[in-house]
Amino acid sequence: MSSLATSILRRSIAEVDTPMHRLDPRVKFLFFIWISVWAYIFLDYTLTAIFLITVLILTFIGKIFKKTVKAVSIIVVPWMAVGIPILSALFPWNKTLIYNVQLFGYNIPLYYEGLAWGIVWPLRIGVCLASAMFFLFTTEPVKLIALLFNFRMPFRFIYAVAGALQFTPILLDDLQTIIQAQRSRGLRTDVSLLKRLANYPVLIVPLTLSTLNKVQIRAIALESRGFSAPVTKTWPYDLSLKRRDYIFLAGIIATTIIFIYIYLVYGFSPINHLQFYIAAG
Amino acid sequence: MVSNEPIVVYENFSYSYPTTPNALVDINLEIHRGEIFGVIGPNGAGKSTFCKSLNGLVPHFYGGTMKGRVLVDGMDTFEHTTAELSTKVGLVFQEPETQLSGLALTVEDEVGFGLSMLGFPAKLIRQRAREALEKVGLKGFERRSPFELSGGEQQRLAIATVLAMKPEIMVLDEPVALLDPIGKYEVLSVIKEIAAEGSTIVIAEHEIEELAYFADRILVLNEGRMVSLDNAKMVLSEVEKLKKIGVDPPSVTELAYLLEHDLGIKLEYPITLPEALKIFGELMEGR
Amino acid sequence: MGEEAREKKVVPTGAKVVAAVMIPAIAALNYAGGVVVEVLKLPLWGDTWATMLGTLISGFWVGAIGGFLYNIIMALTVWGLPAWVWGFCNILIALFTWVAIKMGWANIRKPVRLIPACLIFGFIYPIFCTILGVGLFGGGPSTKPLPAMVYAATLAATKNFWLANYVQNLSCEIPDKIASFIIALIIADRVPEKFKLMRR
Repeated sequence: MSSLATSILRRSIAEVDTPMHRLDPRVKFLFFIWISVWAYIFLDYTLTAIFLITVLILTFIGKIFKKTVKAVSIIVVPWMAVGIPILSALFPWNKTLIYNVQLFGYNIPLYYEGLAWGIVWPLRIGVCLASAMFFLFTTEPVKLIALLFNFRMPFRFIYAVAGALQFTPILLDDLQTIIQAQRSRGLRTDVSLLKRLANYPVLIVPLTLSTLNKVQIRAIALESRGFSAPVTKTWPYDLSLKRRDYIFLAGIIATTIIFIYIYLVYGFSPINHLQFYIAAG
Repeated sequence: MVSNEPIVVYENFSYSYPTTPNALVDINLEIHRGEIFGVIGPNGAGKSTFCKSLNGLVPHFYGGTMKGRVLVDGMDTFEHTTAELSTKVGLVFQEPETQLSGLALTVEDEVGFGLSMLGFPAKLIRQRAREALEKVGLKGFERRSPFELSGGEQQRLAIATVLAMKPEIMVLDEPVALLDPIGKYEVLSVIKEIAAEGSTIVIAEHEIEELAYFADRILVLNEGRMVSLDNAKMVLSEVEKLKKIGVDPPSVTELAYLLEHDLGIKLEYPITLPEALKIFGELMEGR
Repeated sequence: MGEEAREKKVVPTGAKVVAAVMIPAIAALNYAGGVVVEVLKLPLWGDTWATMLGTLISGFWVGAIGGFLYNIIMALTVWGLPAWVWGFCNILIALFTWVAIKMGWANIRKPVRLIPACLIFGFIYPIFCTILGVGLFGGGPSTKPLPAMVYAATLAATKNFWLANYVQNLSCEIPDKIASFIIALIIADRVPEKFKLMRR
């Protein structure tokens, strides 16, 4: 997962150009929030699955399909693999029997409610994650910063947020170097828990000290480049809405109206008719 | 080229960091417009502190206590912020990657970063960025990511970042210390070119051999104090004095010193290879 | 001449810039902590230790914002939108750390004093985790084996959904927060004085 995260965060300047890339980042950001919220309004695994497939189609057009599927699977699949068995058997609101499993001479009944619960929640996260990746990875970093400028945050704040996306892969590279150096000095991961625990500071401490040093250097470099100047910073990238953005927005509005209708008429679980069990007590 | 007009004046300047006293003590000097001013000294001598005192990082960033004053093109560094001084003094640091902005910008945007911070208009930023990149030999790299560049290229990028702000003085704090030989060569070539155009340059270095080639005057610091300040040849020829404080003079100079002290051969001390060739050549022909 | 001979004390201005750089560094270090824990196959999260460290060396705000930022990044790249809410947990951790500092519970050289802090991290903090976990993620079992077993066992024994989640969180958070607290203290102890000066 960490190498995936690294490849996610380390991005060279996008040379790719797709219709999705050309959408205004504000529109994509809105989409990401919008669909994530709707994924939580409806408690319905069929509907959520449709959301997920829709987002994946968008990522396909944006040529980030493989990356997105990989990231989503890493979260969703293990979650379902663990959740579905345990919840089908033990979910307190289980009522509808679907199957009886024979295990070690025991009869374990599996129920629909637990199963549905175990499917819908990972799917919801899948939608959130896929849409976030859609937003992040079809937008160049300079445009992301332009977006933050658009929110009219003070520059120190913009810097803190944008800086994290850049700092992390560098740090992870440093970490790899430290890990390799320690491996050549005999660091092993196939030893006892206590020994592995003792190795935790061995890796973390040098990484942190070198990072803190870098923080100092970068701070004075930034200061030397006028970081603290009390003027309005210029950002040489402008955001402007084009026709394609308006079409996309129109689509979002139209879909919202449809969703509201479905919600009011059919409730929050239109296809699967699930109940929000925790609230039901 | 070198005028006598002082562009930087230190008047009885002393500085102590909050945690380190006497980082600089009683510094009195002038730096002239168009001069290449070298700063040498052992580790902890105050070279970095000196560099940082030129653009106000010392004292403002760190706090601490100070005496005296530093005037940069008429501006007292105590009375002005580092941001205000950033169009007068540009500072290049030792670490190629770390001194970059830290935002995932293209090379071109990175060069324009300082100007963005000062609120310059976008068109001017782009223009200055392109000019600066060409000057350091990175034309064509505009759309690349700085992290793909080699150390030498990144350091040249850092120099371009400073050049774009068109400062009166460029200060370099051990710019080639962390570079491989090729990177060193590239960066020093760029510095020499900029120097040849008449810019004022202050460069703190360990690479004394290189400094000997193009520095006009050299300041020697030890434990925060001035040990010598004179033209390069005079300073580097004081071999004993330099070695006593832990600084190695150029090899050819040291050779001449040893020839004089161990073999009794009197000769002029060279500080660069061409000089050495001439002096030693004549010496050998004389025999 | 008298003006220049007098020693002037200068007000430092670097703290704000350092904070702006420190915050993403904390977020990144939290991330790295999670990676190290994975590489070493430790049964910990390992991704809130830097929030504690940030608070210890740069004050509450740096720790809190850095920690929160970490959760935003994780939400955008790994866990999905709702995960940003865990950011409030990170703020809570910064708060608890700050309280520990003020109450003298953050002294590595006096291990006994650490106990109240550890209790807060180990037992009070998971209450918030439980509320968030059930509300946002359905309160299902964790994908880590040990906590999942704890969850299943508690659920089977008590049929109490909330309790199962709380106990599962205890089994994760007690080792994780205590280990993170200790490592943060160790490193904060080792950090040279000059870095700490940039404390807000």
